Amino acid sequence: MMKKALTAIRYFFVYLWLIIHTFIVLYPIAFTISGAFNKGKSLFQMNVLPIPSNPTTEHFTELFTKTNYLNWYRNSLIIAVCNTVLTTVIVMVTAYIFSRYRFGLKKPMLMSFLILQMFPITIGMIAIYVVLNRIGLTDNFLGLILVYTAGNVPYNTWLLKGYFDTIPRSIDEAARVDGAGHLTTFFRIILPNALPIIAFLAVTSFTQPWMDFILPRFILRSDKNKTLAVGLFEMINGRSNDNFTMFAAGALLISVPFLILFIINQKYLVKIMAAGAVKE
Amino acid sequence: MKKRSDLTAPILSAVFMGLGQIVVLKQYIKGIIFALVEVITLLSSRRIARAIEGLITLGDPKPNLPIAQRDNSTFMMLDGLIAIVVVIIIALIYIYNIRDARKTAKTYMRTGVLPSEKDFFSDMGEKTFAYFALSPAFVLLAFFVIIPLVFTVLIAFTNYSAPDHIPPNNTVDWVGFETFREMLSLKQFSQGFTRTAIWTFIWAFLSTVTCYFGGMFLALALLDKKIKIAGFFRTIFILPYAIPGMISLYMWAILLNGQFGPITKALRQLGVISWLQNIGILKKDIIPWLSDPVLAKVMLILVNLWLGAPYFMLMITGIMTSMRQDIFEAALIDGASKAQQFRYITLPMLLYQTMLLLIMSFSYNMNNFGGVYFLTNGNPTDTITTQSYAGTTDTLITWMYKLTLDQRLYNKASVVAIIMFLVVAPFAMYNFAQTKAFKDGEV
Repeated sequence: MMKKALTAIRYFFVYLWLIIHTFIVLYPIAFTISGAFNKGKSLFQMNVLPIPSNPTTEHFTELFTKTNYLNWYRNSLIIAVCNTVLTTVIVMVTAYIFSRYRFGLKKPMLMSFLILQMFPITIGMIAIYVVLNRIGLTDNFLGLILVYTAGNVPYNTWLLKGYFDTIPRSIDEAARVDGAGHLTTFFRIILPNALPIIAFLAVTSFTQPWMDFILPRFILRSDKNKTLAVGLFEMINGRSNDNFTMFAAGALLISVPFLILFIINQKYLVKIMAAGAVKE
Repeated sequence: MKKRSDLTAPILSAVFMGLGQIVVLKQYIKGIIFALVEVITLLSSRRIARAIEGLITLGDPKPNLPIAQRDNSTFMMLDGLIAIVVVIIIALIYIYNIRDARKTAKTYMRTGVLPSEKDFFSDMGEKTFAYFALSPAFVLLAFFVIIPLVFTVLIAFTNYSAPDHIPPNNTVDWVGFETFREMLSLKQFSQGFTRTAIWTFIWAFLSTVTCYFGGMFLALALLDKKIKIAGFFRTIFILPYAIPGMISLYMWAILLNGQFGPITKALRQLGVISWLQNIGILKKDIIPWLSDPVLAKVMLILVNLWLGAPYFMLMITGIMTSMRQDIFEAALIDGASKAQQFRYITLPMLLYQTMLLLIMSFSYNMNNFGGVYFLTNGNPTDTITTQSYAGTTDTLITWMYKLTLDQRLYNKASVVAIIMFLVVAPFAMYNFAQTKAFKDGEV
């Protein structure tokens, strides 16, 4: 009887916390949504309860007409798409070679990837700027995309190589015997078998540029080349209280696609993350 | 052809690349390729020498010339660096050329037959394709990862900084360990440095630990079969991970506004603030969430927990669902309580499986820029800030960012980068030693 009561009390507290936690998670989100539709500009005019007073959509119209929001969005989209394509192709090829070929410097190369993977690219940002300046790629999308791609290579090569290694070699050896070349083997055997991890790589490299701040701030100096992260930052920087509602509208427009993408892929994500984490 | 000593070919190849292969071993194609490398090297030797010389001198100030014609020290440094890389590659080809000549000559001495080049090239086919396919990745890595890392180290030994040493207007000079000395022993900077380094360490440790155990609690609570609508809760708890971090950090900075923020407002309406004022904890009608150094640090950790716990929740949920269940059933039959199960089975197993990830997460947090920059921007400031530009909540990476972009003290920023590098390196090494590939001795 005593034990039963204790269990009941324990579950009561677990449920209580789950509910409080739900509130803590949802409140900032609800507050942003209500901010986006709230009349007036500043934080001062907001209610504590996330219910907009005099709901309006004028902040969205303002965002499109008075700021360069659409331009920032377009820039971020271009960078994201190019980064996805370039990263996916280069990492796929590199990982395939490391998984299937034998050559002299393979081991030292893979080890150096492991070490490079630990250092964030931002450590070398001054130098990256000088390199880009030297080859005339500052304030240029291409420069930023190349830097992103280079930074993505070490870690993701390991990730994909690990996956490619699980595809039995006997299959592609059989294909080789039947006369398939390097590329045919890759496209017919490896690619179809590794689609989940390649999709994962594509999604992560697509989401990467959206909210990255340091590199675009540093590399893309001119106004017309600003990305969404930098644009929003400058819109609100130092004036967060006055420009609150417009910021909320802009934030909402970015977050919605991300949220949808995430909730759809939730189950799949758990699997990939667990597989990547587990030490075998 | 009469047999000669097997040293002739390698010696000839040492004198001029490819000569041994062409004259002695009759391997014309290979020999010509080697010879071409040597010819190109000789032709560009002056340019290479000048680039390396530039790296040493970093140019002379020529204040009378128009800016475009002055020596640009940073470019000279970069060119010199690239020249050194080129020289190393040529040296490797040179050594390979001699070894190849010796190997072929030995085979010839043993068998008495000149090896045909066909075997060589068909053997090379596989390797050539591999190297060819890897080249884009390596060019990118060389230019945007490796050279920048080396370059950053070099900058720390120069006086590349505003206002007097910014190319192309002025030149930059080597100053040895001067910048290190300034950063570590000059009181003006060393105070800021020590404080920032300590806080970075605390921040990385606490954010990793809180997110890990916070995520673990949520994962385990939701995996309990008696909890209803666990899927619904899980979907909600994932949301912070799905929203772009910068956005949520900004949101929190606004929510935690000490005067107009909704949290402050709510507490004010509930009378908490006036009560705190009465008992003397608060001086004014505001709560300094982000403007009091200590409270700001607590808020940084808590907001980071909000952001980071879902990641570990997902991870641990994944690991737990793929774990074998029989061990828990056995424990249940043996009469183990929930607490005992957690203490003796779940926790050790999870820790074992995620140790690598914890270390990675720690080094990630050491370098977590946004987590600090977007919430507090390194503020509040104090007297140390005015001297060293390091705010009370700045971590090494945000400080480095400020030194670089706001102050343009590139040499000092590079010293910070090197120290960060040295701090992260042991973790990198440990991680490396733990990988399966390294342990099995096969990559």
